[in-house]
Amino acid sequence: MIKSFFKITVLVFFLKGIPLCSQNCDFILSGTIKDLHDGSPIYGAVIRIEGSDVFAQTQENGSYILKALCPGSVVFLIEHAECNSVRKKVSINANATLNFELEHHINALEEIIISDNQLKVLNGNAKESRLNADQITRFSNQSLADALTTLAGVSSLKTGNAIAKPMIHGMYGSRVGIIANGIRLRDQEWGPDHAPNIDLNAFQSVQLVKGAAALKYGGDTPGGIIVLSPHKLILRDSLFGQTIINTATNGWGGSLTSKLMKTTSNGYYVNGQLTAKRFGDLSSPEYVLSNTGMKEMNISFKLGRSKISKGWELNYSRFQNETGILRSAHIGNIQDLLRALKEDKPLRIEPFTYRINAPKQQGLHQNIHLIYFNQFNDELKWKLDYNYQVNSRKEFDIRRGVPLDVPAIDLRLQTHNVLGSLQWKKGFNWEMELGINALLQDNYSDPNTGVKRLIPDYIKTQLGSYLVGSYKPSNSFHWDWGVRLDHVGWDVQKYYNISDWKKRNYNSIFPQFEVDNVGTQILVNPTVNFLNFAAQTGISIELSEQFNTSFSYVLSQRSPNASELFSDGLHHSLATIEFGSLTLDKESSNKFLFSLTKTQGKLKGAIEPYFSKINNYIFIAPKALQQTIRGAFPVWQYDATDALLWGVDAVLAYEFSDRLNLDINASYTHAQDMKNELPLINIPPFNSSQSIQYSSPKKRFDIKVMHHFTATQNRFPDLNFSVTTLQEDGLIEQEVDVSTPPSAYQKVDVFFSLYLGNINKSKTSLRFMFYNITQSKYRDYLNRMRFYADEIGRNVQVQLVLSY
Amino acid sequence: MDKTTILYTKNTLLLILLITISSCSKDTPEVVNEEELITTVELNFSTQGEPDQTVRWETEAANSAEIVLKSNTEYDVQITFLDESDPSDIENINAEIIEEADEHQVFYEFSGVSVTYGQGTSDALDSDQNPVYINSIWNTSDANSGVVRVFLIHEPTTKSSTTRDGFGGETDVSVDIPIRIIEE
Repeated sequence: MIKSFFKITVLVFFLKGIPLCSQNCDFILSGTIKDLHDGSPIYGAVIRIEGSDVFAQTQENGSYILKALCPGSVVFLIEHAECNSVRKKVSINANATLNFELEHHINALEEIIISDNQLKVLNGNAKESRLNADQITRFSNQSLADALTTLAGVSSLKTGNAIAKPMIHGMYGSRVGIIANGIRLRDQEWGPDHAPNIDLNAFQSVQLVKGAAALKYGGDTPGGIIVLSPHKLILRDSLFGQTIINTATNGWGGSLTSKLMKTTSNGYYVNGQLTAKRFGDLSSPEYVLSNTGMKEMNISFKLGRSKISKGWELNYSRFQNETGILRSAHIGNIQDLLRALKEDKPLRIEPFTYRINAPKQQGLHQNIHLIYFNQFNDELKWKLDYNYQVNSRKEFDIRRGVPLDVPAIDLRLQTHNVLGSLQWKKGFNWEMELGINALLQDNYSDPNTGVKRLIPDYIKTQLGSYLVGSYKPSNSFHWDWGVRLDHVGWDVQKYYNISDWKKRNYNSIFPQFEVDNVGTQILVNPTVNFLNFAAQTGISIELSEQFNTSFSYVLSQRSPNASELFSDGLHHSLATIEFGSLTLDKESSNKFLFSLTKTQGKLKGAIEPYFSKINNYIFIAPKALQQTIRGAFPVWQYDATDALLWGVDAVLAYEFSDRLNLDINASYTHAQDMKNELPLINIPPFNSSQSIQYSSPKKRFDIKVMHHFTATQNRFPDLNFSVTTLQEDGLIEQEVDVSTPPSAYQKVDVFFSLYLGNINKSKTSLRFMFYNITQSKYRDYLNRMRFYADEIGRNVQVQLVLSY
Repeated sequence: MDKTTILYTKNTLLLILLITISSCSKDTPEVVNEEELITTVELNFSTQGEPDQTVRWETEAANSAEIVLKSNTEYDVQITFLDESDPSDIENINAEIIEEADEHQVFYEFSGVSVTYGQGTSDALDSDQNPVYINSIWNTSDANSGVVRVFLIHEPTTKSSTTRDGFGGETDVSVDIPIRIIEE
């Protein structure tokens, strides 16, 4: 018998009902029991009053009701299969609502699904936020980054509307890890204009861990990690599913997502999921954003068997999308950019269409994952994951004399990942995990594009080992720690222009890499190795019934990515030439996070300041102007500096009554390049969102009004350059302002949800969402399309959710 | 703890396997032939009673010799776009431009000198009969010196404009060539 390790957190909010005549045994207690991590209802939990025969069982929606209670002090006992019982003392003197959040675990499954428990243990102290199933549903036709921006401290770096990358504490790309089903997503995450190739709808909960505390998944993500977890399994015979249908007026499109899961009592389970999305051109308040349509089609499939002591799972998922890029953002040189900047509308506005033309991106990501776990005894178990991911990415530009179906970038990235881990538990207090992680990555860049490779062919190997542990002597104290060591090796084959190779002095620094001269190009075979060390430790303490505090420290080291080392090419949306740098060294980040949380009462909230110092912070900056046949081009090259980032995330919730709630999220980030004494580029300005929600009696409907405010970013580096334009009497220099951030903006969203109850045995809800209802016209500093067009205008979305 | 040993052996074997795979080197990648490259702009001037004059703007040098024209004279001007990245296989891009005449426009902008230009005798026309100015007639006026900026515009928003901004589109070529107009 395994000693199940779980913690129970009880959030109780008493709401005074109408006082009834005292001494009458007719009080009613009701509420819901939900999962602490993803807010999903826990079915079949028994809630009873100790020493009496009064009890109730939770319904499928997690609700329970206890009637005919006498006033006085009683002890509640909450029980659920495979969990230890939980006791809570409650005094009854009125009708009340009592909601419990349990840390819901099914021991047998904890091993094969990336269990919330496991993660929770690994980073009990690093601040963690999460999106629940309901929030994921709300964003079912949007992207992961869009959904995450509802959490304090997360922004999104965008290219238009459909391409969005999550940004945590001002960091994105390789500095943020995305973990799906327990394995890191490998999808060319380095590019600022690549959105993660993942379908949010395939997951049941999304957790955000600020700081790289989950060393199991890598020690190289100073920004933080995003953990996507699938639906939890129930070890009994059941069949359930959900279908979400969305339609939206902006882009005149919609999405359909449907999933079905079958579980059996002997441990087998099978799960299938499908999502399709299609949108035409989006619109800003005043004009059509031509060529911003998108389509997406995803499927996933899972089959497994789980018994208490061992189990296996096979998982396959496929993600495919095509996204148009604003036509006006495709420019030829900086004079074109200057022209675009002078206009307050895009230079090309065409009638609405569903057609997606160049410039556009096509992505295809496939993932195969095999899991096996076994247990030696009560204390020791091991688990083996094998994962294969293949990511192909094609980018189509406006080209001359080349057939339309020939991409300008055509990359195929294959990644094999093996993760073996050994877990050891000693009673309730101690837990440890030792693991080995090996990765082999092969990038292939198709030469038939007729465009110089942006990212060269390479083989990357990574071998890592970690040891993490936690000690939790009581519910009020938790200590965790971890260390990880990784060796990263690159074996690259790349053609440089001989002139570039010499200009950067590589011919004298790296003569050993030179292989062959081919015309004006030189083939080189750089082999680069890095040894990265990561460590973290943290404590969390329950100060009182109402207050918790936590502190953690994370050291992470990241070796430069493929783009930072080797990129070589022209960017059409900014008219820049980008160069990687072979001389870059690894980046080391020391991050301190602190949090103070008030968990109970009408006023709840958390304040989370953080501070991080990054040595050898890799960034890209303009170096020089290069004279080309298209005129002078700014050359941007990767370089390293020391950076200091600090900030504060804050959340506040106030409950006016059980029907009326106020929520406020705010975050501020301050980032400075210490060597050059300049602010860092693309750092989110102060932003906050405040919402007020009213729920009707019996939760028939609720209405939520949300206001967003984003300040002007006043801290930015001046990276402007000038272009010479021809006038009657000679050449004059004109400044191209690519630095000044856009003005502050506000917008209002309204959500109206209607719970229709059970129709044909399926729980049905209907939601009306009005985004940017006031047609606020604005541009966002973190959108690379801000030079060309406004953000999207009003969008009315109707969503139907059927759960069965 | 026996099983632990087995586990370690398994893991080690796996790693050895991975390292073996990774040590297999990849095939040498093919060199990419840049397909849309234009490296050279060549301008040829001819007028009666004068020898032809040719100036070339080459990427390698990133400049060009000066154009010297006589004042108040009409010149037949032929522009040629070349890809000379491979000296053994020089490509003339003009044919592509003429074939995609609707998507292309040659445009000249002058500074410091007064030159007007129009359709040449052997110019290419797009489907709306707009001249592409691959071949053009230049008329010079007074003696002076300045710069001519030569543009090749891709997918212009209009084909009939008198300014670079008016054409819109993307700039495929933008080179500055010094020009001097001397007394007849």
